[in-house]
Amino acid sequence: METLSVWQALIIALWIGAVMSRSFLGGATTTLRFTPMMTGLVCGIVMGDVANAMIVVAAIQLIYMGVFSPGGQMPSEPAIAAAVAVPVALLGNLDAEASIAIAVPVGLLGSYLYQFRFFLNTLVLKATDKYAAEANGAKLTFCIIGMPIIIAFLLFTPLMFVALYFGSPVIASIVNAAAGTLVFHVLSVIGNGLAAIGIAVTVYVIGRKEYIVFFLLAYFLCVMLKTLSIPMITYAIIGTVIAVIFVLAQNSKTE
Amino acid sequence: MSEYQEKSLDLAPEQLTKKDIWIMWLRFYFANEIPHTFDRYIAPSLMWCLMPVLKKLYKDKSELAAAYERHLLFFNTQISWGGGIISGLMASLEQERAGQVYRGEEITITDDLIYNTKAGLMGALAGIGDSIDSGTIQYIFIAIAIPWAQAGQAVGALFPFIAFSLYQLLIGYFFASQGFSMGRRASELLTSNTMQNLINVLSILGLFMMGVLAANYVKVTSSLAFTISGKEFVIQDTLDTVFPGLLPILTVFGVYGYFVKKGMNVTKALIGLTVILGILGAVGIL
Repeated sequence: METLSVWQALIIALWIGAVMSRSFLGGATTTLRFTPMMTGLVCGIVMGDVANAMIVVAAIQLIYMGVFSPGGQMPSEPAIAAAVAVPVALLGNLDAEASIAIAVPVGLLGSYLYQFRFFLNTLVLKATDKYAAEANGAKLTFCIIGMPIIIAFLLFTPLMFVALYFGSPVIASIVNAAAGTLVFHVLSVIGNGLAAIGIAVTVYVIGRKEYIVFFLLAYFLCVMLKTLSIPMITYAIIGTVIAVIFVLAQNSKTE
Repeated sequence: MSEYQEKSLDLAPEQLTKKDIWIMWLRFYFANEIPHTFDRYIAPSLMWCLMPVLKKLYKDKSELAAAYERHLLFFNTQISWGGGIISGLMASLEQERAGQVYRGEEITITDDLIYNTKAGLMGALAGIGDSIDSGTIQYIFIAIAIPWAQAGQAVGALFPFIAFSLYQLLIGYFFASQGFSMGRRASELLTSNTMQNLINVLSILGLFMMGVLAANYVKVTSSLAFTISGKEFVIQDTLDTVFPGLLPILTVFGVYGYFVKKGMNVTKALIGLTVILGILGAVGIL
């Protein structure tokens, strides 16, 4: 079984540190953390197989569709999930669907780590009160920006490195041994169905119950027209047009 | 007398410019979730983004320290809608307050007023911002890019990342400058007709795209097949002729119904659906 080199594991581990410390371009980490896609791409570049990494991470993205963090709490960490599942899938030549079975538990564990980051921040940022009272700008910056970044790198990078360097070949060989068995059939049934979660979350969060007809419209339109393989952009344009027509009609009624 | 004038000239608050607001917003965009804690959430980010603004406004060290402390109280919101509007609004309030302090007037922009303004807006703005930005716009970009990713192309990851990050950076600046120029009237921004229409269009588009995604990517099929007197019945073929797309939409609405009844607990839904699909797959129904 192939393994990751020290450098490969280290670069992926540093990337996760940069994302989970929320410091890589600051607010840009919002989407880096909520979606596994960029992490999958980074793994692909590091392992020299971008094409397969993208195929695997697209399958992982589907189960995290709609995941975001109302109020900062998130049930799973898609970026961490992808950082382990994509390399394992590439090492073990796994099906994209099988990689989901790895991503789900890893993502759940990741969310505990992220909570632990808040805990450590809480301890360290106590000092801001003192520096604020002194109006000490340099120390405030170090305490508010510097320390949390250092803490997050110390928390995430070593753990990710160990998981990738020592863990990934082991996980890959276990999953490989299951290939072709009933276990594998079950894993792909689960993987294919879990996309329903993220979609249900989004429908629930957008919230306007009377708008669910638009969900149904798009769903059955798509099922009917499947053989035409219409690109997503076209659907997005049609959706926008329908939405604008609806809002215009609604406004003219109230005027 | 001349000495007094010199001193008071030194203490005069500087005028805040467009550039100050842009820098303030960039600082908020960068700091955002870095110093998130359990007790004050992202208050340190708000304080840190306001630092250069406060330095220009309060030349007196004790006033500056008091201003820093004012913005370290509990604060949590969403980055672009909440962070943008509130940071702009805070800069505007502090500017008004600094003028009152300098002129020796009665201070009407009290600590309480500043905090209550923040607290009154942060939750509502987070709700709107989260569902529009992270919940809808982000996933519209991803929905467009997923086919590229499935074809093995890097642009499938790069497009939604760049498009969404730029979108939040720019709309956040728009909100920050609006918040600054509108001051305490900033809350009207949200109740305006244009904004309500935009929110409705985006909600509908979001639901529409979720329908497209559900049709393409939720794959629940039955693998049941019977042989009755030499003739083979494949359940999925029958389903496809009677009601195409039945099983995936049942799955989605099953989860949705669970959220409606029991509240949105994603972890429980994830575990529950995994178990159900696992069992149905193992016994050969799916």
